[in-house]
Amino acid sequence: MGVYIKSSAQISIQNPLCNDWAVSPIIYREPYARAVECDYKKYINPIAARRMGKILKRAIAVSSSALSICGAAVPDAIITGTGLGCIENTEKFLSAMTMEGEEFLQPAYFINSTHNTISSQIAIFLKCHGYNNTFVQRGISFESALLDALMLFETGTVNTALVEGHDEMTQGYFKLLDKLDYWRKEADGKGAVAGETAVGFFLSKEEDTVKIEGTEILHTPSMDDMSRSLLKMCSDAGISLKDIDAVMVGANTDEANDAVYEAFSETLFHGVPCLWWKHIFGESFTSAAFGMYVADYILRNRVVPSAMVWKNSVKSAEQIRKILIYNHFNNKEHSLILLSRW
Amino acid sequence: MEQLILELKKQIIEVLNLEDVKPEDIDSQAPLFGEGLGLDSIDALELIVLMEKNYGIKLGDPAQGKEIFKSVETMAEYIEANRKK
Amino acid sequence: MTICVTGIGIISSIGVGRQATLDSLLTGRCNIAPIAHFKTIHSDLVSAEVVQSNEQLIELLGGGLKEPLTRTALLGMVALDQAYKEARVEEQRPQRVAFVSGTTVGGMDKSEQFYLDFLNNDSKNQYIASHDCGRCSEMIADYCGHFDIITTISTACSSAANAVIFGANLLKTGRTDMAIVGGSECITKFHLNGFNTLRILDKEPCRPFDASRAGLNLGEGAAYLVLESEASALKRGVEPLCKLSGYANFCDAHHQTASSEDGEGAFLAMSGALQNSGLQPEDIDYINAHGTGTVNNDLSEGIAISRLFSKRGIPPVSSTKSFTGHTTSASGSIEAVISILSIQHGFIPANLRFRNKIEELSFVPSSDIGLKVDVNNVLTNSFGFGGNDTTLIFSKYKKE
Repeated sequence: MGVYIKSSAQISIQNPLCNDWAVSPIIYREPYARAVECDYKKYINPIAARRMGKILKRAIAVSSSALSICGAAVPDAIITGTGLGCIENTEKFLSAMTMEGEEFLQPAYFINSTHNTISSQIAIFLKCHGYNNTFVQRGISFESALLDALMLFETGTVNTALVEGHDEMTQGYFKLLDKLDYWRKEADGKGAVAGETAVGFFLSKEEDTVKIEGTEILHTPSMDDMSRSLLKMCSDAGISLKDIDAVMVGANTDEANDAVYEAFSETLFHGVPCLWWKHIFGESFTSAAFGMYVADYILRNRVVPSAMVWKNSVKSAEQIRKILIYNHFNNKEHSLILLSRW
Repeated sequence: MEQLILELKKQIIEVLNLEDVKPEDIDSQAPLFGEGLGLDSIDALELIVLMEKNYGIKLGDPAQGKEIFKSVETMAEYIEANRKK
Repeated sequence: MTICVTGIGIISSIGVGRQATLDSLLTGRCNIAPIAHFKTIHSDLVSAEVVQSNEQLIELLGGGLKEPLTRTALLGMVALDQAYKEARVEEQRPQRVAFVSGTTVGGMDKSEQFYLDFLNNDSKNQYIASHDCGRCSEMIADYCGHFDIITTISTACSSAANAVIFGANLLKTGRTDMAIVGGSECITKFHLNGFNTLRILDKEPCRPFDASRAGLNLGEGAAYLVLESEASALKRGVEPLCKLSGYANFCDAHHQTASSEDGEGAFLAMSGALQNSGLQPEDIDYINAHGTGTVNNDLSEGIAISRLFSKRGIPPVSSTKSFTGHTTSASGSIEAVISILSIQHGFIPANLRFRNKIEELSFVPSSDIGLKVDVNNVLTNSFGFGGNDTTLIFSKYKKE
């Protein structure tokens, strides 16, 4: 049995619900950018969306788009990864409570502050009674959601699933994370650009162009652990390490962050083309969802946009059949996703 | 009363985040819940907060809201009779 | 694959550890009182706090812990440590061990305390990094030992139950040899106020499944279960406490905070778990209900229970939130541990403070304290905001 990507949709700091990024990406020099919004009224009527923050509207839009692209109505499962959840509403409730006191607090901000509001709003919108889950493990939140979905497929619990990654970055929270040196300090400097993530994938057992061979999440692994895990993933997919044609890494120009990818690619993939995505889509807790989105695009369209090459040039996009996506967070949580063109 | 009704409509639009709805779109006598604007139980809780914050009216039992929030007009009448600020 | 539970750990307002918890359950002792650990204007809203302050929790853990620490992490460490020791993980370590934890408030206790510092100065920056839920799990895991896989689930009040399912699936699909699963949550001013805006907090100790019920009491705590295959338990020489025989997660897909009138999500979750376990409704000896004590939940859940069980007679039902309060994200595993205790010690945990039957329901909850019965199979419900409905079934372990 295999699990295939039937369709995907994204809203990000690039143009929404399309692949303009592949041809003419918007380049961000400053450390902070917000997503380019689409017209949400096309997806949900404003009265129904009255309590929804941006993160929820985006979730409805990417879910609807991903489903309509492949003509599916309702998935068997809805699983979301989100590092921070609905941080905008969380901040609203928190700041009202700390600054104005405990009287007159508004329920809608509280209700919409919980992380699983995203998955459950999608379910209410789609009237989907199926499995519903939400993962919140920092930089591997999306990969945890993907892993959950793959296990549901393997145990025969579902035939289809909507798997998504969502994070919003408010000005306020950007500033807090800036105090922890999450972002580049000046325009064009070294370090990450903050982005926002809204990506949805419709996965199915039904064959399609791009197959998800496997995914792994690892906690503080040694290079040996990484290599063992990778070899196991390859053997499960019936391939060897040298069959991997390109590696997509979560590099973001922050030196400490990127050194991990340098070591990984030098040790295990010397000379193999390495691609990246965070310089185009920005950094967020669920940015790995864009790693999978871009890898899927490359395999499906047999083209590697030149902006995506991190090191070792790609000789022929045609020959890229297997892409490994490697992402880590603080060198603590690590993830691997293996995709192949089927 | 007319002025209170207009004021209320503006407050309702703001607090319930009714994008694209203008005060003149809301019929003062039309039901706020179910049909009409299509509000739900969470909106009712928001309206309770609104009454407390802006008019100093405390509703001990949310069930009381059912009668009071029938329409903007009934809400305005209740506020007029019970307001503390 | 037969999945066994080989260790449990628990801390809640009714005690630290399995023995204290059991004693409270058998004697009807609970601790529902005004908030003591932080300042709030809602002194009239009673809650079920863990007695120990953060300092006392650190002492329980042997001291020497470095800030930043959050209360959710400390509660989690206490519970995980017990489970870890009971299953003798350290001495007989399987190759791969996973940790799956549920929480929703994460480090909010510190964020709400220091939010103005976050905005205005740099004195509390270390707590910015301890805000998110995932960090909380890292802290709990790193305190206890090495884990190969860590992840965190946040589905509000069903989080810990969903962590059990995820851990079980890791085992079934051969991705780990052991999964330690559950959840942790402290009471914060944030969600105390949040629930208060929804007007579903009772000013009196809660009365689940009572006609006069008027809301829930927030509780706090943590619980973890060590899951492994029967083969692994036997190989490691550890006696299984019970089996995890079935589970399911479905969505009510009805409303953000309210349950549907016919309890469809709850019905699907309970039927799904039964199907997954291969058991029939009549095999269930005890239903540990979600039973929050709100008007809406208990009616909706009660209707779902009636729909599924009334044909062959409804087994004893109780909500142990009448003891522990609603421990939100931790409730799934706290109630799983209570369910396991009921199997091990052969009793039905009581539904405290029940007086009057809910008119629309055909059953009343089991209110006798310490009722001794042979319990083979327990079904336990955990429902979260957004209609996230999860059911787990635990069964007596018998060597094949």
